[in-house]
Amino acid sequence: MSMLSVRDVSKSFGGLQATHQLSFDVEPGEIVSVIGPNGAGKTTLFNLITGVYTPDEGDIQLEGTSLVGRSPDQVVGAGIARTFQNLRLFTNLSVLENVLIPQHRRRHVPWWQAVLRTRSYREAERVMHERALEALSFFGPRLMSFRLHQPVYVLSYANRRRTEMARAMATGAKMLLLDEPSAGMNPKETKEITQIIRRMRDEGGYTILLVEHKMNLVGEISDRVIVLDYGRKIAEGAYEDVVNDPAVLEAYLGKRSDDASEEGAA
Amino acid sequence: MPGERPIARNTLLTLGVVAIVGLLLAWAQGVGGAKLNDTLALFAIWGIAALSLNLVNGTTGILSLGHHGFMLIGGYVTALLILPDSARQQISSSARSAMTPFTLGLSVEGAFAALGLQALTTPGTLWVRFLVALLVGGLVAMVFGLIVGIPSLRLKGDYLAIVTFGFGEIIRLTASTSLFAPFTNGALGYAGVPSEFGKSLGWTFALLGITLFVLTKLKFSSHGRALQAIREDEIAAEAMGVALARHKVMAFAISAFFAGIAGGLWVSYLSAARLDFFLFFLTFFFLVAISVGGTGSYTGVLMGTAVVVFVQQYGDPLEQTYPLETWFALVGALVLAAGLGGAWFRRRTRLRPVWHPLTVILAAIGAVVLAVALLAPNWAPFDGTFQAFGMRRILLAVLLITIMALRPEGIMSRAEFSWAWLLRERTAEPSDEERAQDAWLSNPDLNRPGGAADAGGAGDAGDAASTAVGRYDYASDHPSAQGDPLPRALLDEDGPGAHPLLERGSKPRDVQRYGSAGDPAFHEDGSEGAPEGVPEGAASGPDPEDADGAAGDARGDERQDEHQDERDDEGRA
Ligand SMILES: Nc1ncnc2c1ncn2[C@@H]1O[C@H](COP(=O)(O)OP(=O)(O)OP(=O)(O)O)[C@@H](O)[C@H]1O
Ligand SMILES: [Mg+2]
Repeated sequence: MSMLSVRDVSKSFGGLQATHQLSFDVEPGEIVSVIGPNGAGKTTLFNLITGVYTPDEGDIQLEGTSLVGRSPDQVVGAGIARTFQNLRLFTNLSVLENVLIPQHRRRHVPWWQAVLRTRSYREAERVMHERALEALSFFGPRLMSFRLHQPVYVLSYANRRRTEMARAMATGAKMLLLDEPSAGMNPKETKEITQIIRRMRDEGGYTILLVEHKMNLVGEISDRVIVLDYGRKIAEGAYEDVVNDPAVLEAYLGKRSDDASEEGAA
Repeated sequence: MPGERPIARNTLLTLGVVAIVGLLLAWAQGVGGAKLNDTLALFAIWGIAALSLNLVNGTTGILSLGHHGFMLIGGYVTALLILPDSARQQISSSARSAMTPFTLGLSVEGAFAALGLQALTTPGTLWVRFLVALLVGGLVAMVFGLIVGIPSLRLKGDYLAIVTFGFGEIIRLTASTSLFAPFTNGALGYAGVPSEFGKSLGWTFALLGITLFVLTKLKFSSHGRALQAIREDEIAAEAMGVALARHKVMAFAISAFFAGIAGGLWVSYLSAARLDFFLFFLTFFFLVAISVGGTGSYTGVLMGTAVVVFVQQYGDPLEQTYPLETWFALVGALVLAAGLGGAWFRRRTRLRPVWHPLTVILAAIGAVVLAVALLAPNWAPFDGTFQAFGMRRILLAVLLITIMALRPEGIMSRAEFSWAWLLRERTAEPSDEERAQDAWLSNPDLNRPGGAADAGGAGDAGDAASTAVGRYDYASDHPSAQGDPLPRALLDEDGPGAHPLLERGSKPRDVQRYGSAGDPAFHEDGSEGAPEGVPEGAASGPDPEDADGAAGDARGDERQDEHQDERDDEGRA
């Protein structure tokens, strides 16, 4: 059974058709990239999957159970977590606290037990700390050590992106939606994050759907690429096939196809 | 485990301070006189209310203005349940009384008698009945908290604040209507509520201690983190699995429970329950306490409460009649202080010029007025006297404005008082070694083959990787910088950098502390994580601190420009 299956999903905002009859599947353990020009509807797709928006029509299923009509926190409970394109961290809280919060749902202990620090609460708290460090350890010393207790507002932009990814992992979801994970990173950091995303799949066992503008990252890690334009899927397949697809060249890369060959070669 | 000992020590210290405070309170109750006793009791009661309001306002980030409504409910329920028989008979014999035999019979004493617990109906066990009444009052207030929590699911920010304000007023106004008169006795209220509890420092401070304990433990728990997540970013909190509705309603309910307790003590303190004891100014006082002390910091809120209660109790001299020259001297001194304070503030925040014309003019006007008032008190315009009614509240409002302008996050900001802070144990400031490693990781120039890291001549990626773990030889690269703290920490194995991670170092002052966490994982995963980050060849990029801009450049293709702007705006928002 597919991990995620999106069936004929449409969404419009007023007159603007942000997503149109979109269908695709993601198999367990895959890394699938969604690409497309700005405003193509990539973030809207993420919002539809995670319950921020409800599709006008169509169905979205996680391992056979429909997610339509569920609130974002229920979608997380079902097993899909996301990062945000614009970074939505809990800025005044520390890195560690940011990564502890997503585990609250799974290790829920009644509040009065938390106040009295009962044995079951302490156990839950211990496990939460372990999981948090596990998620953060994907990023090595960049987020560990003294960074753990630093408030997020002192972090660099790249470290905030990393914290968001660790936070999404800590939800315990099976599937991660990463919205432009390398935005704001320099080439070296982009390389590093590429390897980390691969390790998230290989070592963490996550299925990953990601939106990205950096073509070399997409080419390097994607098992499959889905191209959106004006809310429609215009191509799907291996990276090499997709970037040479004439429809993609025309719609996604437009007149500037000379850039495309450059990027494709990178 | 290094964390164990300080925790035991902290508990001992806390117990010691509790004992000392207990002794001081016992002394204050015995010898200190009625005024001091009342002030302390008022501090404890308002402290409970302000702390509970802080759970919603500070921790969860929902501006609620209806706290006096919850206090009213708790207060009236407690008063009705505990009212002595003599007071009840007085009410029922009063011609204007609207109370029915049913409501007149509502009492804990009656309930105990009906249950056959005669032992608990004696005068000596009044405290048991009061405790029960207080709890019931808290629980009824909690039910109302649940009801108010429900609109909070749909509304946000200002709208919700208006709704809660409306709610507080609706409670007070409907309580005075004939519909509820059988319960509230209309505008007359109840007189003769036993006052030995609300004025007892033992009772009030014990309940304040419980409130502080519950709320701080809640804040530093998984639930508290979820509430703070809602404060920081609702959308992100929901996307991270925090059930918004449940947690907001929980915050409102717990907050209303303690507000109800505070209300019960408040009617006991005043030995009467009347609707005009529960005006909006109560909530205003608590908001001032929260803003002054630090939004979200419970210990800070107690400091703020102390300020408010002090002004309220000892501010009478402010509202007496004084000759005009005294007022002018006072105003002159204040204006002078404002001018000098402005200059001081500009100096501290490094604004230039320090003596901005406005500060100079203020200081000059203040000095002249002060001088004239002092030197020529008999000057004709100074004939007469003036009495400033409401000066205390004006003072509190001015205090609020000053705090908002100079330190909007309050004295304590979000941090709590802690022993570690008092004893200057900074527990998570990066060590020199960690700083060096961080600088190394985030500086692509040091990390590039042929770059600074390779200055020693190591050519291949393997060597670069081993350097990556933190042995970048700064000194050999910068022979002139021998005295720099960075290289020494790196080169000296047994130097200060060899301690377990969390024992040294610290973090910025405002950050909350955790005892555990971190160290082993850093060493285990750090050693494999770092080499991975080293690029095989290639690319140094722009400085990552500048990465935000760099991203735009990296894919700076004209077609993205308009969207880029949009994104940047959102990013900043
Ligand atoms: N809540 C909304 N209301 C109205 N229009 C919206 C809303 N959300 C998205 N849109 C519109 O839908 C279209 C798709 O937006 P979306 O954010 O999904 O693009 P994107 O593919 O993520 O682009 P980018 O690469 O810039 O992130 C855009 O035209 C956008 O303006
Ligand atoms: Mg987007």
